[in-house]
Amino acid sequence: MTTRAQTRDHKLIGLATVVRLALRRDRLSLTSWVIGFGLFTLYVVVAIPAAYGDEADMRATADLFAVPMSRVLIGPAYGFENPSFEQFVTNGYGLYFLLLAALMSILTMIRHTRAEEQTERAELLRSNAVGRHATLTAALIMTGVANVLSTAAVVAVLLFVGEYSIEGSLLFGAGIAATGLSFAGIAAVTAQLSEFSRGASGLAGIVLGAAFVIRAGGDLAAVGGSTLSWFSPLAWAQQTAPFVLNRWWPLALPLILAMVTCAMGFALSAVRDFGASHFQARLGPGHAPSRWGHPWGWAWRQQRSLTIAWAGSLIVGSLAFGGFTQALLEAELPEVFRQLFTSVDLLTGYLAYMVTFMAFFVSSFAVMAVQGLRSEESTTRLEAILALPVSRSRWFLAQLGVTTLVTAVMLLVIGWSIGVGAALVTRDWSLVLDLGWAQLSYLPAVGVVLAVAALLFGTLPRLVPATWALVALSVFLGSFGTLLDLPQFVLNLSPFTHLAEMPIEKFNAWAAMVLSGISLAGVGIGVLGLRRRDVSGG
Amino acid sequence: MADAIVMQNVVKRFGKTTALDGTDLNVLIGEVHGFLGPNGAGKSTAIRVLLGLLRHDSGEVRVLDGDPWNDTVTLHRRLAYVPGDVQLWPNLTGGEIIDVLGRLRGGFDAARKSELCERFALDPHKKSRTYSKGNRQKVALISALVSNVELFLFDEPTSGLDPLMEAEFQEVVRELTAKGRTVLLSSHILAQVESLADRISIIRDGKTVEAGSLDDLRHMSRTSITVPTEQPLDRLATLPGVHGLTSHNGHSQFDVDRISLDSVIRELSTFGVLSLEAKPPTLEQLLLRHYSDQISAETRQVVLGDS
Ligand SMILES: Nc1ncnc2c1ncn2[C@@H]1O[C@H](COP(=O)(O)OP(=O)(O)OP(=O)(O)O)[C@@H](O)[C@H]1O
Ligand SMILES: [Mg+2]
Repeated sequence: MTTRAQTRDHKLIGLATVVRLALRRDRLSLTSWVIGFGLFTLYVVVAIPAAYGDEADMRATADLFAVPMSRVLIGPAYGFENPSFEQFVTNGYGLYFLLLAALMSILTMIRHTRAEEQTERAELLRSNAVGRHATLTAALIMTGVANVLSTAAVVAVLLFVGEYSIEGSLLFGAGIAATGLSFAGIAAVTAQLSEFSRGASGLAGIVLGAAFVIRAGGDLAAVGGSTLSWFSPLAWAQQTAPFVLNRWWPLALPLILAMVTCAMGFALSAVRDFGASHFQARLGPGHAPSRWGHPWGWAWRQQRSLTIAWAGSLIVGSLAFGGFTQALLEAELPEVFRQLFTSVDLLTGYLAYMVTFMAFFVSSFAVMAVQGLRSEESTTRLEAILALPVSRSRWFLAQLGVTTLVTAVMLLVIGWSIGVGAALVTRDWSLVLDLGWAQLSYLPAVGVVLAVAALLFGTLPRLVPATWALVALSVFLGSFGTLLDLPQFVLNLSPFTHLAEMPIEKFNAWAAMVLSGISLAGVGIGVLGLRRRDVSGG
Repeated sequence: MADAIVMQNVVKRFGKTTALDGTDLNVLIGEVHGFLGPNGAGKSTAIRVLLGLLRHDSGEVRVLDGDPWNDTVTLHRRLAYVPGDVQLWPNLTGGEIIDVLGRLRGGFDAARKSELCERFALDPHKKSRTYSKGNRQKVALISALVSNVELFLFDEPTSGLDPLMEAEFQEVVRELTAKGRTVLLSSHILAQVESLADRISIIRDGKTVEAGSLDDLRHMSRTSITVPTEQPLDRLATLPGVHGLTSHNGHSQFDVDRISLDSVIRELSTFGVLSLEAKPPTLEQLLLRHYSDQISAETRQVVLGDS
């Protein structure tokens, strides 16, 4: 017994130091997550009653949230027959709290495990009497703390600002924390699998994406979800139906998942070498193809793996979303919904919605690509390229050019995939080409997002991640803007608002041209900025 | 024009830190120029300014008769760089990286690449993330050496290399200078600088504190003398130019400034010299004098013989 206790101690030795370091390094991002959660809660708790006036007005539109298409985006839609504000807010927006918690967990976990291990810092720590399991444990503690504090912020706002009832508020918060923890466990596993932080967060991101798609399919089929929903870790917290059914038992599932995955993470990390992964590295070619020796070829080589990962998952997702049309066509639809879409048929409405949604994902890819450039710079690898006879603008434009081409092709293929998925159930194969063009028509808006990231990279490189705010805002306005009756000038903040919603509407060449012009201007400023600033200057 | 590199009174600030604070550097065409200084002195910063990666705040910088900030691309065709902190693309092999960098520079010579891989015993088939530190360094080194350029900027080019590879590196640098190439060599390996450099510059806190050939620098510095005498030497300590006198069992040790050497030796002969050992200062001693404000008394004692 004693020897066992000793080895355990030994594996965790130095834990306190690692946690303290991690806390110090993370105090800013930790605080921002907690404040972010608090503000988001404040926003939905205050803005929704404000937008609707009173519960009666809200009830008139609540049906809209419960239709199959909306359920894809919000979840099983418990309590929408005759909702109170607390039911409306928590069941209508809960999914986004869960997504945020999952993202927070994945990012925090990977930052403190694989990303840290990639630097020489962790090696330094480890050689200084830090046990084998200390880093992973510290990461889990950090992520646990982040989840608990964020959830506390959410619950506090619900209770004290919204004056919601206690049990539902606690249940809602517990669901968020439990989901966050389950994704912390998933990230603890993926951190062992890939040798690189981007690969590790990418793998966890794929799990998150798959969880979203699975529950989307499940929730689309019926109010309250279907059997399929229960296969998704994102669905469990929503199945507690806070303020409606108030059931606690579904939370056992995320907690079990968290425990199992954490155990797997520790087991995997115990059998691998420091810095190594479970995917063995093989020998490779001793020569590079000559096309890589050109800024464009090199840019493609660098963005290739990110592209393949994103295109792969988005194509699978698109086929699935396209295929969901079957469930949609069979679903019972409330009257208010039919009225809203008298001009178009339900199918086209749904597909147009999906096309917009996929465009958001592609714009996220564009932001990731620019963040890749940023990491080239901060790892000083960019220095090696710019010390060659390659000018900064040539390098930058080649990288952005490749990203633009990739996003264009990605959009087209995703559009086709939604079309194929839909055509398989509707037998209407003309959808394929139509949706391809519809999806591609979002290129100018994706271009604006890319240009904002490029502009920041050229001028204020540390702020590149701020581009995510634009993506988040666009997703929010695109999903809820019209439902919330937000004023047009707010909706206009999203570049996606300005484009025609194909295939419902006709292509708007004018808007496309204006957005393209804005993109070019943004890229131009970015290039000018990059030419004037220090490279690797911190 | 005989200067490959000219830096005059160059200032570079990062926010509140002043990394270069009036740096002067003068590298002649065809020479190997040692660039020395304690950690954080500004060597890497200076090299990045020479590469046009950083923009200096004031002062004059010329590289191969061009302005590194404005003529970047044309200059980069004529120079090659080994960074101080080598970071490679983890999932490319060493061979792929050498090829990519070589082709982006232009005029890539595959035969030269195989020759260098062989000389430095580098397996180009391994993914760079699986390389040891020394092997990563070799990839960066070969990527630079493979190019046929006039000027090489080396920022600690051999950190992590084993002694055999270190010798190979010195051999390659001698071949380069035989062909008339110019090398700026920032390094903490003094033996390397002593054996390769024609001239050196020492920089500290962003200021050039010493520059010249090793012989010149030695001349300005102290000779250390060990001498057993018949009579105790205590009185010598009061003479100008004598430093750190210690005596033990009739054996004395001290340092003398070059200028005072003559008068001190005259005085010394009156004590009954039994034998005499005089050592010119090593580069290490030279450097430590410049580096040494913060180093501990013991370190001084061990290396410099000061007390
Ligand atoms: N990007 C940056 N931002 C802020 N400060 C910097 C930056 N780069 C360098 N410095 C500072 O400038 C000073 C000089 O650093 P530099 O890297 O040039 O030193 P060095 O002589 O190369 O040292 P070493 O021998 O350790 O490599 C240091 O104080 C360093 O902290
Ligand atoms: Mg340095």
